[in-house]
Amino acid sequence: MKLPPVEYEAPRTVSEAVELLAEHLDQASVLAGGQSLIPLLALRLARPAVLIDINGVDGLSGVSATDGSVGIGAMTREYVAEESAVIADAVPLLAAALPLIGHEAIRNRGTIGGSLAHADPSAELPAVALALDAEFVVRGRSGMRVIPAADWFEGYLTTSRRPDELLVQVRFPAAGRGTGISFQEVARRHGDFAVVGLAVSLTLSDGAIGDARLAFAGVSDVPVRAFGAEDLLVGERPSDELFDAAARRATEDIDPPADLHGSSDYRRRVAAVLVRRGLRAAADNAGERG
Amino acid sequence: MDITLRINGVTRTGSPEPRKTLADFLRDDLNLTGTHIGCEHGVCGACTVIVDGRAVRSCLMLAVQAAGSEVTTIEGLAPDGELGGLQQALWDSHSFQCGFCTPGFVMQATAYLHAHPDAGEQQVREALSGNICRCTGYQSIIDGVLLAADRARQS
Amino acid sequence: MAGIAAERYTGASIKRSEDPRILTGSGRYVDDIKLPGMLHAAFVRSPLAHARVLSVDVSAARALPGVVAAYTGAELETMTIPGPDVLMEMLGVGGPTPEFSLLATDKVRFAGDPVAVVIAESRYIAEDGCELVDVEYDDLPPVVNAAVALDPGSPPLFANLGDNIVLPRSRREFGEVAATFAEADRVIDVRIDVHRHQNVPMEGRGCVASYDAGTGVMTVYAATQSVHVSRKAVATRLGIEPEQVRVLAGDVGGSFGLKIGASREELAVAAASRALGQPVKWVEDRGENLTASGQAREESFDVRAAVSDDGDLLGLDVQVVVDTGSYPGMGTMVPAIMEEMLPGPYKLAALGFESTAVTRNKPSYVAYRGPWASETFVRERVLDLVAKDLGLDPLEIRLRNVAPRTDPPAVMVTGRPLAGITTRESLERVAKLVDFPAFRRRQVEARGRGRYLGIGVATFIEAAPGPRAPEPPSGPLGLESMRLLLDEDGIVVLFTGQMPHGQGHQTTLAQIAADEFGVPFEQVRVVVGDSDVVPFGLTGGSRSATMTGGVALHGARQLKAKVLEFASLLMEASAQDLQITDGHVWVRGDPDSAVAVGDVARRAAAGEFGADASLEVEAAFDGGEGGWSGGSHCAIVEVDVETGLVTVERYVVAEDCGALINPAVVEGQIRGGVAQGIGAVLLERSAYDEDGNCQSATLMDYLVPTACDVPRIEIEHLQTVPLDPDVNFRGVGEGGMIVAPPTLVNAIEDALSPFGVRIYEQHLPPARILELIANGDA
Repeated sequence: MKLPPVEYEAPRTVSEAVELLAEHLDQASVLAGGQSLIPLLALRLARPAVLIDINGVDGLSGVSATDGSVGIGAMTREYVAEESAVIADAVPLLAAALPLIGHEAIRNRGTIGGSLAHADPSAELPAVALALDAEFVVRGRSGMRVIPAADWFEGYLTTSRRPDELLVQVRFPAAGRGTGISFQEVARRHGDFAVVGLAVSLTLSDGAIGDARLAFAGVSDVPVRAFGAEDLLVGERPSDELFDAAARRATEDIDPPADLHGSSDYRRRVAAVLVRRGLRAAADNAGERG
Repeated sequence: MDITLRINGVTRTGSPEPRKTLADFLRDDLNLTGTHIGCEHGVCGACTVIVDGRAVRSCLMLAVQAAGSEVTTIEGLAPDGELGGLQQALWDSHSFQCGFCTPGFVMQATAYLHAHPDAGEQQVREALSGNICRCTGYQSIIDGVLLAADRARQS
Repeated sequence: MAGIAAERYTGASIKRSEDPRILTGSGRYVDDIKLPGMLHAAFVRSPLAHARVLSVDVSAARALPGVVAAYTGAELETMTIPGPDVLMEMLGVGGPTPEFSLLATDKVRFAGDPVAVVIAESRYIAEDGCELVDVEYDDLPPVVNAAVALDPGSPPLFANLGDNIVLPRSRREFGEVAATFAEADRVIDVRIDVHRHQNVPMEGRGCVASYDAGTGVMTVYAATQSVHVSRKAVATRLGIEPEQVRVLAGDVGGSFGLKIGASREELAVAAASRALGQPVKWVEDRGENLTASGQAREESFDVRAAVSDDGDLLGLDVQVVVDTGSYPGMGTMVPAIMEEMLPGPYKLAALGFESTAVTRNKPSYVAYRGPWASETFVRERVLDLVAKDLGLDPLEIRLRNVAPRTDPPAVMVTGRPLAGITTRESLERVAKLVDFPAFRRRQVEARGRGRYLGIGVATFIEAAPGPRAPEPPSGPLGLESMRLLLDEDGIVVLFTGQMPHGQGHQTTLAQIAADEFGVPFEQVRVVVGDSDVVPFGLTGGSRSATMTGGVALHGARQLKAKVLEFASLLMEASAQDLQITDGHVWVRGDPDSAVAVGDVARRAAAGEFGADASLEVEAAFDGGEGGWSGGSHCAIVEVDVETGLVTVERYVVAEDCGALINPAVVEGQIRGGVAQGIGAVLLERSAYDEDGNCQSATLMDYLVPTACDVPRIEIEHLQTVPLDPDVNFRGVGEGGMIVAPPTLVNAIEDALSPFGVRIYEQHLPPARILELIANGDA
C-alpha cells in the first residue's frame, strides 16, 4: 500500500497554484489535508500525475465573520473550525457536525475546503453545506467564481470545480433568530462515516416553521436536500405528527444505495428515524437562539 | 526532495521522494522504528506522532509536508530512558500486551492529556477511539491514561 | 546480613518486564529489522477468485530501475521442493492433501492468490514493479458457497482431488442417539450459521529472510508463534538441513492463531533470498492481511436437539459443513475438536455428529482464537432457544443440565472426564454479580418507554489443557520442554520454545521460576525466539500456562536441587538443611551462612565440584493432571430498535482458569477475547460477493471494535479445584472469544423477544437487527 510515483509541486501563492492547475488540469490532484486523498493514493485508486500541495499557500486559512455570513478559508483545519467561537455562534449546524468527523488526529490535518472539494456523499460537511446553501469561492485562470452549494455537488466525488480552479473559501450564512439545528448520524462506530446522516436547520417564528432545511448524507452519490419534506414543514407548527409526515415524505424521495453497512431498505428506514429525531432536536433548540 | 525538520528536539535532514509518507521516512530514513504501521489508510492510529503540537497520523502525511515542523515520536518521550508519567502509569496499569499499537496510543494520549488534563473516562474513550488495539479490549489502556491524569493532578 | 525475606510472585500482578521497551518504542518487530543490502518483496495477486493462469510476463517489471528480480510461480517451483503444509503434517491432520505451489502456477484459487513476486530496493519500487507484471487469466466459475462446493460436479479447485470435498462426510455417534431422539418429549430442529471473520492482529505476517551463501545458513527473522515450526517449514520447502536454518523472532505484534508455520509468501521470500544471496524483507500490508492471510469460522450447522419438557438436554445431532478455503489447512482439524467438545459441561447423554469440509475460492481457513468455538455457540444458542420454548429461565436451564462435579468425575459422552469443573459455581457467581430479578423489572419498565434491554448468559469449558488423558501424550505438542541454567551472575535463565505475542511469558514464567527456585523476579531471564537456542515449542491452543508454567516449575525445582547439591559440598551441610531465598543459599536458621547463588555457579564453572558439574537442566512436562478452564459470562445490552445499533451496557465474567500466575495478564486475555467476540457479533465480517471478490479489504469495511464499543468487563476469579499436586495453572487465552459471541447473541435475542425474534446466526449488524425485528413472530 505504498503511494505510486507522482510529481509534486508546492506552490506558495494562489496564483501559482492556479497556474499549475491550468497546466495539468485533470492530471493533477490538489493535496490539502490529505486525510481522504492519501489513502486513495496508498490504495492506488487515485493515479494523478501531479500532486499540488497547497499547504504552503498563503492566505487560505482563517475564519472571518462579515455581515450575515461566515467565510472560512479552504485550508482552515477542521480542528480550528471546531474551536472557533465565531462558527459556534454563527454557524451552529457546522459546529455540531465537526466533532463527528473521524477522530481528532484526522481533524488536525483535514480541512474544511478539502472535505468539501472531495465531496464524499457519506461525509458530514457536504450535507451541512447543502443544507445551509453555502457558497463555494473558486479561483481559476479566468478569475473568481462563486458557486452555490446547490450547484457544487455534481456526482460521486465530483464537484463543479473546473480542473483549473482552486477552491479558496467557503461561505456559510449566519444563523438567524429563532434557528434551531441538529446533525443526526447513524454510524457503525464512533467516528466512522455516516451510514445515513442528516443536517437539519429550522427557523421558528411565532411558533411556526418559517424555514426548514434538511440535507442527507449517505443516501445517494451526492448529499441530498429533502425538498419535499421541507415544503411540508414550512408554515406548520412543530408536532410529532408533522415530523412523522416529513419523515415519510423525505424517505419517499430517496433511493439509497446498498453496501456492506446497510441495505437500501435499511438506509431508508434510518433516514426516516433521523428526520424525526433531527426535527425534534432542532425544534427544541430553536427557542434558544434569540 | 531535501527537507529539514526537528525530530524529538534534534534537527534532522533527509531526501525523501515526495510520495514517501512521514511514517516511512521516520522508520526507514531516520531509523526511528518506534512509530508503527498498521494499515496505511489512516484508520488504526498505530502511526500517530505529534507534529507542531497536534496528534497526526503519520501514514497520512507526506514526509515533505513535515519540512520545518517539530515532530515528536515515541522515542522522544523518554529520551534518557526514564519513563514519563504517562508511560509509567501505563506500565503500572498493565495497559498493553503485544505492544504493536502502543506507540500510537501513547502519542495520542500524550497529546490529548496535554489539552484535556481533567478528562473523564467517557471522554478518554472517545479520544482514543481512533486507535485500534486487538489485544486488550481497551479497559487497561483507559485505566492507565486515567491514572496518569490523576497522578498529574496530584503532583 | 539481616533476615532474608522470601517473596511470592505467583498469583500477583507483577508488572511486565516487556513493557519498558514497548512503552518507549524500542520493541523489535519484524518490520523494524534492517540488514545491509536488504531488498523488499511485493506480490502480484490475482484479482479473480478462480481462473486458469495462461501466462505471466515479468519482463517489464524486471526492467524497472530499482527492481532486482521478479519470479513467477513456475520459477519458484524449480527453486523449492513441493510438499504439503508442514504444520498440518506435524499435527497429523488427515484427509487428502491437495498439492499446491508457493505461488499460483497454473491456477489461481482466491482473489488475492499470489502469482508473482517482485524484489526491489524498496517496497515502493517493488509495488511499482508489480503493476508492470502482465498476467493473462482465463476466468473459471467461482465456487463460493457451500452448496456449490458440495456438488461433486462443481469445477474442482485442485485437479488431483477431483472434487471440492476435502473431508468426505463422516458420522459418529456417542450414546444411544436414535433411542434418545425417539423417546424425547420434543425435538428442536434448527440451522445455525457462523459467519466468516478473521484474526486481524495489529502487525501482519512477514519476515526477513537472509541466506548466507558462504555458510549455507538461512536466517529468517519471523513474526511467528513458533520459531521451530517456522524453521521446519523453511527447511523442508527449501530443501535445507534444519540445522542450517535459524529462525529468530523478537516482538510479535499479535497473532491469535494466524502466524503458525511459514506462509506461502514467506517461503517464496526465503527462496528469493537464497537465489539472490541478499536479505529480502516482506511484511504484508493491511490489504493483504484482510484478503490473503486467511480467515476463519465460516461454518453452518444443522442441529437437532432432543429435549424433555422439563428442560433436560438429552441429545444433540449436529451436521456441520466447514469451509477450509482455497488452500486447505487447519480447517480439516476443526470438526474433530468440535465433536469432542459439543457436550460441554452438561449431562448430555447422546451425540450424533456428522461433518464435511469443502474447499472454496476464498482465502484459507486459519486458526483463530478458539478455532472450534462454534460448538459453544451452537450449544449455548440451542439452550436458550429451548429455554424460550419451554418458558424456562436461561440460568435455570443451564443449572439443570450442568454435570455435577463428582469423584470419579462424570465423563462427557464423547469421552473426556469433567474432572474439576466449576461450571455450577460460575453460573451461581454470575447470578450473584448480576441481580437478574431486578434486571427483569427494569426490562419491563424500559419496554414501556420503548427501550429494549436484554440479558444473556452463556457458559463454556475449554481443554486448556484438559484433564490428563489415559493414553500418553503423542506428537511434539504432547510435551513441553525447557532448558534452565544458573549463570555466574546468579541469573536463572529459562530457554523456552514459547513465542509470546502479547501473553507476557517473559514475565509469567519468570514469576514461577523465581518462586520455585528462590531468586528475586529480576534475577530470572526468559529467552525466546531463537531456534538455535530454544527447545521445540509453540504458543497456541492455550497450552502455555499449564505446559510451560509446569515445566518452568519442575525445571526450576530440578535446577534448585542441583544447586543445593553443590552448595551442600561448599557449605558442608546436608542439602535438606539448605534453602534458597532472595538469590542466596543458606543454612536454615543461620542467615550469616548465606552464599549468593551466582557464587555457587562460578565455583561450579571453575571445576570445584568436579569436571562434569553443570548448572543446567533439561526439563519436560506433559501437563500433569491438567484440568479444564472455563467460566460463565453475562451481558446486558440495549438494542435501538429504530437503528439496529446495539450497546453493551454491562459485561460480567466469572472465570476459572486454575491457579492464576498473574491476574492482570489473565484479565487482559479475557478482555481481549471478549472484545473480539463483540467484534464478531456486531462489527466484523469477511465479506465476499458471488464472484468471490472481497468486499472487506480495508479497515473501513472490516470493522474491528474500538474503545467506544467495548464496555468495562467485570471479572471475578473462582476458587479453582486443584487436580495436580504442583501445577494447576490453566490456559485462558481463548476462552473470552469462545463464549462471548453466544453470550451477546443470547442477550440480543432476549432484548428483542417482544418482537418474537429468534436468532440462528452470529453476525448481527444494525441492518440485520432491523430485518429480524421486521420478520419476527410477535
